[in-house]
Amino acid sequence: MSNAAVNSYPVAQGATARALPGIRPGTGPARKSRTPLSLVRSAPRKRRAPFVVLCFGLLAVALMAVLVLNISVSSAQYQLVQLRSEQTTLTKQNQDLTQQVQNFDAPQNLAAKATELGMVASLAKGQIDLSTLSVTGKAKPAVKGDAPGAVIAAPAVAGQLTVVPPASENDPLAQRKAADTKTADTKTADTKTADTKPAPAAAAPAVELHGGSVPAPAQKVPGQ
Amino acid sequence: MAQNTGKASKAKAPNATRRLRWGLGIMLTLLLVVGGKLFMVQGLDVGGMAEAALNNRLTPIELPAERGSILDSSGTVLASSVIRYNVVVDQTVNTKTETFRRLETVNGKDELVKVTRDQGISELAGVLGMDRDALRDALTGTQRYYIVAKDLKPDVEDQVSKLQIPGIVTEGTSKRVYPNGSVAGGIVGFLKDGTTGQAGLEQTQDEILKGTPGKRVFEIGADGLRIPVGVDELTPAINGKDIKLTLNSDLQYFSQQAIQSQKDKLGAEWGVIVVSDAKTGNIIAMADTDAPDPNDPGKVAAQDRGVRAVTASYEPGSVEKMITAAAVIDEGKSSPLDTFTIPPTYTVDGQTFSDAFEHGTEQRTLAGIVGYSMNTGTVMVGQRLSKEQRYGWLQKFGIGEAPDIGLPAESKGILTPADQWDGRQQYTVLFGQGVAQSTLQTVRAYQSIANDGVMLQPRLIDSYIDPDGTEEKVPAKAPQQVVSKETAKQVRDILESAVTEGEIKEAAIDGYRVGAKTGTSESPCDDGKSGFCGFTASIIGMAPMDDPRFIVEVVLQRPKGSIYGITNGPVFRSVMSQTLRTFNVQPSTGEPARLPQYAK
Repeated sequence: MSNAAVNSYPVAQGATARALPGIRPGTGPARKSRTPLSLVRSAPRKRRAPFVVLCFGLLAVALMAVLVLNISVSSAQYQLVQLRSEQTTLTKQNQDLTQQVQNFDAPQNLAAKATELGMVASLAKGQIDLSTLSVTGKAKPAVKGDAPGAVIAAPAVAGQLTVVPPASENDPLAQRKAADTKTADTKTADTKTADTKPAPAAAAPAVELHGGSVPAPAQKVPGQ
Repeated sequence: MAQNTGKASKAKAPNATRRLRWGLGIMLTLLLVVGGKLFMVQGLDVGGMAEAALNNRLTPIELPAERGSILDSSGTVLASSVIRYNVVVDQTVNTKTETFRRLETVNGKDELVKVTRDQGISELAGVLGMDRDALRDALTGTQRYYIVAKDLKPDVEDQVSKLQIPGIVTEGTSKRVYPNGSVAGGIVGFLKDGTTGQAGLEQTQDEILKGTPGKRVFEIGADGLRIPVGVDELTPAINGKDIKLTLNSDLQYFSQQAIQSQKDKLGAEWGVIVVSDAKTGNIIAMADTDAPDPNDPGKVAAQDRGVRAVTASYEPGSVEKMITAAAVIDEGKSSPLDTFTIPPTYTVDGQTFSDAFEHGTEQRTLAGIVGYSMNTGTVMVGQRLSKEQRYGWLQKFGIGEAPDIGLPAESKGILTPADQWDGRQQYTVLFGQGVAQSTLQTVRAYQSIANDGVMLQPRLIDSYIDPDGTEEKVPAKAPQQVVSKETAKQVRDILESAVTEGEIKEAAIDGYRVGAKTGTSESPCDDGKSGFCGFTASIIGMAPMDDPRFIVEVVLQRPKGSIYGITNGPVFRSVMSQTLRTFNVQPSTGEPARLPQYAK
């Protein structure tokens, strides 16, 4: 029996109580034999403090972990952004350089550069067969100033260095030499006639079709 | 007292229980209502709230697929896509921002510098190379999106971004560039709006080059941040395949330059050179005059933007005599040294035929008839074939059947059925009038003779290269045996004799045995009714004759001046020798064929 049970046991059971009328001793139900008193050991109290400390500790650790994780994530994010932009820059650079190489590589640009350096294509070639030691064909030295023939216009890739002077607008594939002398002629003519009359109006620029075949409709420009 | 209390509790107890039960009942009902609603909202999603919310959060982004490149046989890039930038302005932001701050390095220190709008505009104008006032107009207004400049290169974009002008952003776009310009420009073709092919291979191979755009769908919160645990579906873009051609861009350039020079020199309307590998059918070069530069195709006339080697069909003229000779030899009705007595003009069925040169009655061999390109003799020998046979042989050599090399508008030529031929046409088809074909069809017919009678279909697309680098070869179409190996050999000897003994001596190349045939035909006027307007002059040949490897045909349409003074021989020679040199072909061995042109 616990202490509480003992305490709550009715007190009106003592022998000192006067008898109530109608109730005589001995006639009531057999009296309960009293429970012998004994020492009640109190159960050892559970110590709560370590648990609370543990909880707080865990909380703190968790917070720290979240903080550290956050910091590392955001710093990794910065690094990521930086690397991304570095990658983009390098991709751009790479593309740019590749395009430059391709531009210099284009056969017409190579040919133009070679002509610029004074190289002339040889027209007659000979062959030596090493196994039979026979020579076929008569190789002739290339002659300087040989007509190079038609000039294929350099690729019109926007923003690329022009290796070859662009051929004239109207006749893009006309012989370059002729075109050069022509422009030189018109220049001298211009200077001569500049005093007397205005230079002939520049040829109408080629209509920009942007790859299509229908020119844009003519529009009235305000002020005209 | 105890009884009282007992009684009181007895009286109250049922009451409390009932109340308790009532309360519990109400609670449970409410719980049921709430639970039911919860179930309906969460579990069944009546009214589509969750879905609407999810849709509100979901943000799709299209991941563009990169368009495949077009490469030549050695991997030289003929077409590829690069990043370019558009400068876009939010005019409302820019107009109202009179000054802004930007971080600048002043005397080695980073400092915030105050910049006025005017200063910013003039700086931007300097970078973009635009007029300052025009730029100011472009930046002023109420539009939220206005493109200021297009297709900037990355370095310019970098400068623009560094100016940090409010309202100005740069957007990446894909731009198609053609590093080789007009070299193979017509074959490669071009795009119409930066995405869809409009001409050439860019048009026909659009689906393969384009690829499939990918998609990324993720959830975004009201604060504009991505919800990390939400949906994140990534469908990666499948880039387009690269296309590898059989062309050699150096030879393509060489041929284009050669035919352009020839065209300019003789004032012709157009010219074509085709170089083909007889062993594989691969087209090594297909040159056009005034080929478009796909970077700016508007610069050349519309009719020059295609590939005339496949689109233009014309009456081939005497090059067709090879087919007649091959037919009669294969049918066993003649042989290279078969003799014919040829009068100055020859009349059959009331139709009179004469030759390009004056001659008396001559004793000729079949080789001599082809070697001197005699119409009279060709009609005499071709008469041994029935009309149906003539038609059948032309058909067998691929006339009337378009080669399929993947270019748009490939012509199949005009081969009228034999029963519709008129009295003259039935003989003229023997020497290439009254029948029309494209240059590539002529090359294909000669290729079958060069390749021991086996016709291979010409190939332009060699393979498709997947984004992961695997190369799928385009399989060659089934070869056809057109004539027997022996016939092919005899026809080759006739062609070689035309160079060694006949009239085409200028096609000869030192060190190599060459077989060739010229063709000159009258070209009907473009309006189709005013008769003939000029000539089509062509030459086709193969080398080295001991084991023919290459076919070269040069065609010139309507050169000005006397047709007798016009020769494509030097052009053929220079292109053929350049081809032999490029592919390191051994000089010929063995004795060249020299079939007598006159019968003794």
